[in-house]
Amino acid sequence: MDRALRLTNAGRRYGFRGPWVIRNIDLHVTPATLVRVEGPNGSGKSTLLRLLARVDAPTEGRVSGRPRTAYVPERFPAALPFTSFDYLTHLGTIHGLTPPSARRAAGDWLDRFGASAHARTPMSQLSKGSSQKVAVAQALLAEPELLILDEAWTGLDTEARAELERAVAERTAAGAAVVFVDHDPRRLTGTTDAVYTVGDGTLHRRAAAGEGGGGGPSVGPEGPHTTIEVRGPAPLPPEAVGRATVTEGTADRTHRLTVPASHSDVVLRALLTARPPYHVVSVRPSDPEGPR
Amino acid sequence: MTALLRYQTALLLRSQRWLPPFLLYVVFLGIGVQGGQPLLDSLGWTAAVLLPTAAWLVRICVMGEPPAARTVVAAAAGPARAHLAAVLTALAAAVLLGTVATAVVVFISDPVGADHQRRVPVPEAGAAGFLAALTCALLGTAVGALTASPVLRSTGRAVPALLLGALLALVVSGSPAHAAVTGLVTGSRSATVGLPLLPLLPLAGAVLVTAAAVAAACALTSRRSP
Repeated sequence: MDRALRLTNAGRRYGFRGPWVIRNIDLHVTPATLVRVEGPNGSGKSTLLRLLARVDAPTEGRVSGRPRTAYVPERFPAALPFTSFDYLTHLGTIHGLTPPSARRAAGDWLDRFGASAHARTPMSQLSKGSSQKVAVAQALLAEPELLILDEAWTGLDTEARAELERAVAERTAAGAAVVFVDHDPRRLTGTTDAVYTVGDGTLHRRAAAGEGGGGGPSVGPEGPHTTIEVRGPAPLPPEAVGRATVTEGTADRTHRLTVPASHSDVVLRALLTARPPYHVVSVRPSDPEGPR
Repeated sequence: MTALLRYQTALLLRSQRWLPPFLLYVVFLGIGVQGGQPLLDSLGWTAAVLLPTAAWLVRICVMGEPPAARTVVAAAAGPARAHLAAVLTALAAAVLLGTVATAVVVFISDPVGADHQRRVPVPEAGAAGFLAALTCALLGTAVGALTASPVLRSTGRAVPALLLGALLALVVSGSPAHAAVTGLVTGSRSATVGLPLLPLLPLAGAVLVTAAAVAAACALTSRRSP
């Protein structure tokens, strides 16, 4: 199955004679990349995301590739006759999990987003923020190959926002593609591989900060960072180096990595599961004026 | 597909939206069927009123999900498969309803022809009644699929179209549902059951018509939205 999604000269309009919402879109969403889509309200961002999720077919042009896809809508009105846990279990099996692993994943993800207390709450009684957590958990629990987030951060509390950023970092580290739209221009800056702007009814590529860094995700210096100090052999694993903004050897067999905060877990995992594993000396938030 | 069907079935049962069409069906049966009436006539009525009930069930299953929840499922499973699961759930509910109703009608009716004189063989009559109910459930599903989203999206047009479609499917000669119901009623007059060819031909027709209608609706889901 082709995991890379590709839009070729795709366009979409509603109705037989409706105006084109977007047109002449050529986009290749490669695995293990984080793609940001921006543009003013009503420019067709959501339409583009619906094409990428293959929920809508392009009116002209074509779309190819069938990655296992998960989609988080902008608003998730939860007028569904299920509890959060039952809904997530159903969605887990629809995403392809077996019923037992779907139940386990549902519990795990509700826990990660701090919504375990709402597991048995009927979805019609959830607050806006809690139902957005369910919408996000639904998308993450089956480890999709393509994750599409349409303003998924809106309505989440601060901790859940950070958790979603970490989850996005985990997905890209695991080889999945993530495409997102968010009104916060600083969202996941420094870890984004490509930025596209929807305007004039089509798509323009905007060069990402620090783009072109050999293969791995290009990183910029913006956003909150974490400093990790580890002891171990000299060539650090490429999964760790590729995500770090700054890597320096501080002493014999001791290294200091400055990584985007959302990627700290992914980098630590790479270091701790390396053979032989690295010893983690310290992990702390970087000084805002920190090493550049 | 199993997961989708389980999800749609849970959605239908827990939402309790199945209750109005179910009650409508019971009321219709109460009007048209009474204990001790000729069996084949009652079976014909049971099958005929299942058609609008099935169409309504399809409408409920297809329109019942909030748009955001539908998009989430469509992204995971593909829009056509998600739509197909909703339609199949409604069809299964209609078939279940029709089967139970047919069994009850066989049990309470008098196994005689319309003249209350000549006997009608019960197993054959029951089988013919079941096949007619199946035919009507299928055709009702076709009507429901063609008069709900994504084919007709405004309720103001869809509901009259559903009622008209259900009526036409029952009265237009050449319609499989019409043929199946007429087969039972004329069989009652002559006190014979035309097994196996007579009820099977309309059923085959209904399968073809419904498969085409549902396939068209499923293919349209990703093209027309939201």
